[in-house]
Amino acid sequence: MNMGEMLLAILFSYVACLAFTLIYNMRGRFIWLAPLGGAISWCVYNLFAFIGSDIVQNFIAAMAVTVYSETLARLNKAPATMFLIVGLLPLVPGAGIYYTMDYCISGNQIAFQQSLVHTLAVAGALTLGIVLVSSLYRLWFQLRFHHRKKRQAKGG
Amino acid sequence: MEKCVDYQELLDVATKVGFHLLENGAEIYRVEDSIRRIVMAYGVPEVDVFAVPTTIIVTINPPDANTLTKTKRLYTRSTDLDRIYKLNDLSFDIVEQKPSFEEIERRLGAIVGRPDYNLLIQVFAYALAAFGFTLFFGGTLRDALCSLSLGAAIRLIGRGLEMFHTNSFFINTLCSGATALLAVFWYELGAAPHIDLMIIGAIMNLVPGVALTNSMRDIIAGDLLAGLAKLVEALLTATAIALGAGFVLSLHRLF
Repeated sequence: MNMGEMLLAILFSYVACLAFTLIYNMRGRFIWLAPLGGAISWCVYNLFAFIGSDIVQNFIAAMAVTVYSETLARLNKAPATMFLIVGLLPLVPGAGIYYTMDYCISGNQIAFQQSLVHTLAVAGALTLGIVLVSSLYRLWFQLRFHHRKKRQAKGG
Repeated sequence: MEKCVDYQELLDVATKVGFHLLENGAEIYRVEDSIRRIVMAYGVPEVDVFAVPTTIIVTINPPDANTLTKTKRLYTRSTDLDRIYKLNDLSFDIVEQKPSFEEIERRLGAIVGRPDYNLLIQVFAYALAAFGFTLFFGGTLRDALCSLSLGAAIRLIGRGLEMFHTNSFFINTLCSGATALLAVFWYELGAAPHIDLMIIGAIMNLVPGVALTNSMRDIIAGDLLAGLAKLVEALLTATAIALGAGFVLSLHRLF
């Protein structure tokens, strides 16, 4: 994929995610902020295309969008899921699930099994990326909170 | 706390907050956590909450009164991120400020009573999502323009059937069938070259990609039952969609 096509795809992912903020009833500034996560996820996914495994690419992109979501969540005192649900849209295996079921119904056993395993692997990679980053985030904030309390206790 | 808390009312209010969180698509741990923190804020240390996507059970054990239990059953769920944001805000305020129960009820009413976007904006959003994803998956501009109508059709049909309280399996089947039918129509007319890209783009409005990922997150977080329930729901939705589109596409291949 050349540079121009990649930039266009990132733009399209932003537009599609923007539409979904309306579908999910978002209001105010989040309508513009949340889809940036989608653009980021697709950008990172493409930046790591040299790895050559879409499972690993999905994992890294999920980590990137989780960092964005958690940061935005702290700044706005909002749940991180709000931004995650929108930002993950370009990555989630929607088409994969559709093709899996399509193969199942049309009786193509081998393609069905391949597609099923691959779809679950993508969903698993995304989950691991999200859980890893949000756990680290929580740990970091707890450590900072703990540290500050200790310092206050010493000072007072 | 200067005066004695009415535990029955506390249980009702806390469960209500949790109920609306779950109803609008919040994660299981957020629902359970919110209820637990609200109850504990009013001086009841012993509280157990169990939530799955269709039920909430809350039991509180006040230090100076009998144990109370409340069960709430959910029949419909949707994703409303604005309500989750405001309910989350409310539950933090409750824990911090411990307002009166009337005040909580008033704020709850305002959040839940907020109208959704009107049908025109909803149809526009579904069409725009179909447009964006068709381009995103590599469709041409003509594919994308045609898939605007597919996205709009999904919302219109969905809205029409929701009024008759039809089950979601049937709605999904019909929506994806209509989507495929429109795609075939535009293709046969010569307006757009890629049937599959139009359908995939429009069907992103229905496919449970987010639901699948969320179900795995629940399972890893330890909410095994909730995760499994969501997984089954995701598979069921996918089956419905494939059934509808598959039926129309096989007919198209035959003739």
